Amino acid sequence: MKIITLLVAITIPLVANSLPSEKRKNGPLIQEALSPIQVSLQESSAVFYNNETSKAFLYGTVVSDDGLIVTKASEIEEVESYYVRVGTKKFRDPIVVARNDVWDVMMIRIKAVGLKPVDFSQTKDLSHGTWVVSNGATERRFRRPRAGIISANKREIPGGSPAVLGVGLKEEDGDLSVDSVTEGSGAAMADLKKGDKLLKVDGSDIKNRDDLIAYLKEKSPGDKIKLTLTRGDKELILEVELMARHKLYGQEKTRNDQLSGGEAQQSSRRTGFPMVLQHETMLNRKTVGGPIFTLDNQFVGMNIAAVNRVEAFAIPGKELSDLVLELQKTP
Amino acid sequence: MKCGLNLMVCSFVIGGLVYADRPDFNDKEAPQTLGDFREIQSALQSHLERTRSATVCLQMGGGSGSAVIISKDGLVLTAAHVTSKIDEEIKVIMEDGREFTGRSLGLNSETDSAMLQIEDAGPFPFVEVDLKDTTKLGDWVFSLGHSGGFDKARGVNVRVGRLVREAETTVQSDCMLIGGDSGGPLFNMEGELIAIHSRVGASREESMHVPIREFQAHWDELKSGKFIGDGGFAQKSEPGTGFLGVATEESHEGGLKVIELWEDGVAEKIGLKLGDLIVEIAGEKATKELMVSKLAELGAGDKLKLKWISGGETKEETVKLGERP
Repeated sequence: MKIITLLVAITIPLVANSLPSEKRKNGPLIQEALSPIQVSLQESSAVFYNNETSKAFLYGTVVSDDGLIVTKASEIEEVESYYVRVGTKKFRDPIVVARNDVWDVMMIRIKAVGLKPVDFSQTKDLSHGTWVVSNGATERRFRRPRAGIISANKREIPGGSPAVLGVGLKEEDGDLSVDSVTEGSGAAMADLKKGDKLLKVDGSDIKNRDDLIAYLKEKSPGDKIKLTLTRGDKELILEVELMARHKLYGQEKTRNDQLSGGEAQQSSRRTGFPMVLQHETMLNRKTVGGPIFTLDNQFVGMNIAAVNRVEAFAIPGKELSDLVLELQKTP
Repeated sequence: MKCGLNLMVCSFVIGGLVYADRPDFNDKEAPQTLGDFREIQSALQSHLERTRSATVCLQMGGGSGSAVIISKDGLVLTAAHVTSKIDEEIKVIMEDGREFTGRSLGLNSETDSAMLQIEDAGPFPFVEVDLKDTTKLGDWVFSLGHSGGFDKARGVNVRVGRLVREAETTVQSDCMLIGGDSGGPLFNMEGELIAIHSRVGASREESMHVPIREFQAHWDELKSGKFIGDGGFAQKSEPGTGFLGVATEESHEGGLKVIELWEDGVAEKIGLKLGDLIVEIAGEKATKELMVSKLAELGAGDKLKLKWISGGETKEETVKLGERP
């Protein structure tokens, strides 16, 4: 379905009456009025800084007093090394504890005591139109609050990013072989080559392309598979790590994505979540990962995707609470 | 039953007390306390059920936009660049997924206003319109629409903001919009329709809407199906591009005899056959001259009424002209 495009144009004459920017929805006067919630944001948000550039690139949500933080997995893994700030304190050498690719969440530990984690016990369902407050921009000592409302039904977001090998396949004379290998893919790293004839995946025979695709469908990005193949007269077994399709090939771009500022603004992973709250707070890919609160300082959930110009997704508090328990059990 | 009636009276009185006046938060330069935010929230939420149920998705020719119903019998306001043509059949989808058939009425191609009528029988949910133009710069407003197209699981998308700029035929808010919202409604905090979504600026916080006063200025023309102006929001069909897919010759008994038919042409599709006699074109007696002048004046997609005799039977149909090959 084609979407009727909004024309991008400013046609309001300069003589028009105008409201000064400080009074607008995302202006400083409104931020100031939200200062009672700023305290919760300050205490229970983590800010991730790139070690190389010292720039903040992501938020996290503090989930235990002794240093456990959850954040958006697909964003944090884009940066090689980073440090963390909670409140005004700086923490070096964070450790990755566990991850969950279904929710795109990473759990990280910092060496800290006496943190103020978010309170999962108070979260409840919020109806459309309820104000929620997130982190906007950050300064070294200060997180700026930014408000929006719950804007649509709580729901599952289908899609997700399938796991891919990173090869083009060819079927010929009853043989399935590698026709091309995508640069940077798991297949390239495992040294698969054009012309390799594929025989088995994890020990089971592959007869054709559909067999392999059906097998990969049950797998998740990050999983490893063993491919049995023949190269020339040699038989080899290679272990290949599967990657998320969007990381290798990019997510499909619609006209509405272009209107949404593209890669600088949108989270690269923005589909495939079992349950989300949708709100309209103006976020971008660098301001997700943090907690959101109601006007009563009740924890609502964790921002997981800046989707487009009008939509932001958050993992609801209840689902996040279950996920945190599961991640903590990870050996 | 009596109980229900009492409740109704009661809620009416309370409603009257709370919402008869302009909300206080509109006259503050910005919310000062969380209490001010809560007042905005409760005003907005008190209108959501009704405004959402009247906000519809429009689908035609593979495109999708938004619109809002403003009368019990299904009069709809939307944007000219959404309907883009007059007298066009358009699918109307409610938030709950029910579908109706609408027909576009008039449009103003210079300011982006348009009307549509749902042809099915009502009553339909509808919203009140701010006919007195009471909404001022800085007032809190909320925006609804089927952003990105119809999505039943998501439902209507709600956004909040303020009126930040005002001009005669355009108002600007900082409620964010995206493709698919076009034609959707902007409300004041008394739940009255104040404008229709039209276009966006480069920044996410610049959204342009057509104010209700602009609809009022051309109300009768829009309602009677007129194509107003020569602006960029909708283009009239180009004269001379229409194609009927038929060749005729004048018959001595009067009328035009069909001597050739294009395969899959519009004439063939409505059932014209070789040898049929066209007796009327657009309600007038059919002549070669009239046929030539009508086709020169009309464009692809325009409509033409034909009456013809086929096997002793008189038939009548309005055809939509195809594109001249």
